[in-house]
Amino acid sequence: MNRRRVVVTGIGMISPLGTSALECWSALMAGRHAVASVPSEWRRYAETASTIWAPLPPIDWPAMGIGRIEQMQLDTSGMLTIAASSEAIRDAGIGTAPADAKKNTFRLEGPPPERCGVFMGTGVGGITSFVGNLANHVMSPLIGDVSDPAVLPPMPPRFNPYAVPSMMPNAVSALLGIRWSLYGPNLTFSQACAAGTVAVGHAFRAIAAGSVDMALCGGAEYLRDPYGGIFRGFDIARTLAAEGSDAQRANRPFDRDRTGFLFAEGGASVLVCEEAEAARRRGARAYAEIVGYAETFDGYSIMSMEPSGTRIADMVTAAVQDAGCVPGDIDYVNAHGTGTAVNDEIESSVIERLFGATPLVTATKSLTGHCIGASGGIEAAVTALSIAHQATHACHNLEHPIRDLRFAREAGPCQIDTAVTQSFAFGGHNAAVVMKRTD
Amino acid sequence: MQDEGIRERVENTIVDVLKVDSTDLGGDQRIREDLGADSLDSVTLVMALEDEFGGSINDNDAKSLATVGDVIAYISRRVEEKALA
Repeated sequence: MNRRRVVVTGIGMISPLGTSALECWSALMAGRHAVASVPSEWRRYAETASTIWAPLPPIDWPAMGIGRIEQMQLDTSGMLTIAASSEAIRDAGIGTAPADAKKNTFRLEGPPPERCGVFMGTGVGGITSFVGNLANHVMSPLIGDVSDPAVLPPMPPRFNPYAVPSMMPNAVSALLGIRWSLYGPNLTFSQACAAGTVAVGHAFRAIAAGSVDMALCGGAEYLRDPYGGIFRGFDIARTLAAEGSDAQRANRPFDRDRTGFLFAEGGASVLVCEEAEAARRRGARAYAEIVGYAETFDGYSIMSMEPSGTRIADMVTAAVQDAGCVPGDIDYVNAHGTGTAVNDEIESSVIERLFGATPLVTATKSLTGHCIGASGGIEAAVTALSIAHQATHACHNLEHPIRDLRFAREAGPCQIDTAVTQSFAFGGHNAAVVMKRTD
Repeated sequence: MQDEGIRERVENTIVDVLKVDSTDLGGDQRIREDLGADSLDSVTLVMALEDEFGGSINDNDAKSLATVGDVIAYISRRVEEKALA
């Protein structure tokens, strides 16, 4: 059976660089990054080796259709997901009609809802909400006993009745199926830093195979707990960028002087993917066509990448083959590019082995920071935007490249016919999506 | 003695949670039977009232609040006791 073609017709994005895809893209192209000191209150609990992160900009939730009651019911990862999906659906030119005013739900003026799926990735789901609820739970015996409440850590005023649905990782997918009344497959992928890429890949496969006609897909993450505990988890594993003498230059993937990744507060990206012929019939604009996907597993270590990069190379090779391409066709690689010593060494070695110095290589995380489970969705969106605009953002702060690859040293126009966006994760998950220009 | 400001804040909170028309609200209306609140809505309403008035409402008190008027009277009393703001 011939595989159906799949196009990206809508993009929504929230990241440390902005609260819309346009804001994020503009910041990427202008080389505006997000770096700040971590919240000072976190220092009450631990002195961390890294002291910087990429915070999200202020978000006007009511303007994004999320009122005060929903803000009490949802984890921030869920709110980010809903907001990004609203932008993506609007961007795709798909109309919406109210379904249930009390629930704040809608129907899409698109394919039958039974033919629409949701495929979202997240690393930790709504864990930050549960950390707050747990603090309230553990501290409650002390609340009446202490004379000065200020000695207690800051915590939510109540154990939230929505503690479970706000914590569960599948909420990021379920919330979209509920919000937009979509009854097809509704799946959540939790492959840590590769989750968003895996989600986009499986949405592609579902549309290509004919099991759905449209999908909302991408990734979402929110990592700011009240005490910096999640940050500390990455810090104690020595994975985070050291501030050094210049915080603005600390996040530098593929650079000789890199020290780790820049922890991001969170983010979300949702792509509307459609069967290409149906998208054409309704006159939709396509950013890019998704043409291939593959995934492999290192089977090596829960936390370290397998040093030879063999499974990554196998995975990228399979993705290129799945796209009906040969390595020489690839002219843009949106790298995982975290800025850790090990990732960048192995990844650049694999890129050199497979593609030589032909394709442009860039690392979106050099500007956004690392949004963990959202990063694959964000980078798939950035890849589609790069194809549509025939332009790349720079690999920020790259001064002394560790390998002789064609790194994007400046933002600007470039020809991108076929692109790879790839992600690797704690656990050992490797995944890549291949996209092509549509005209 | 009920404060008009408190009545308005309670009614706005009920409107926000149950998405009912504010002009339909009357003191003797029953939150479940007349305004259509299910058990999850009732839990949400208590959470929203706690958020609006900055205190806590225990389960037994919450269960006794059957009508809009019950809620307004209860919140007014708690505010007067300075247990809520």
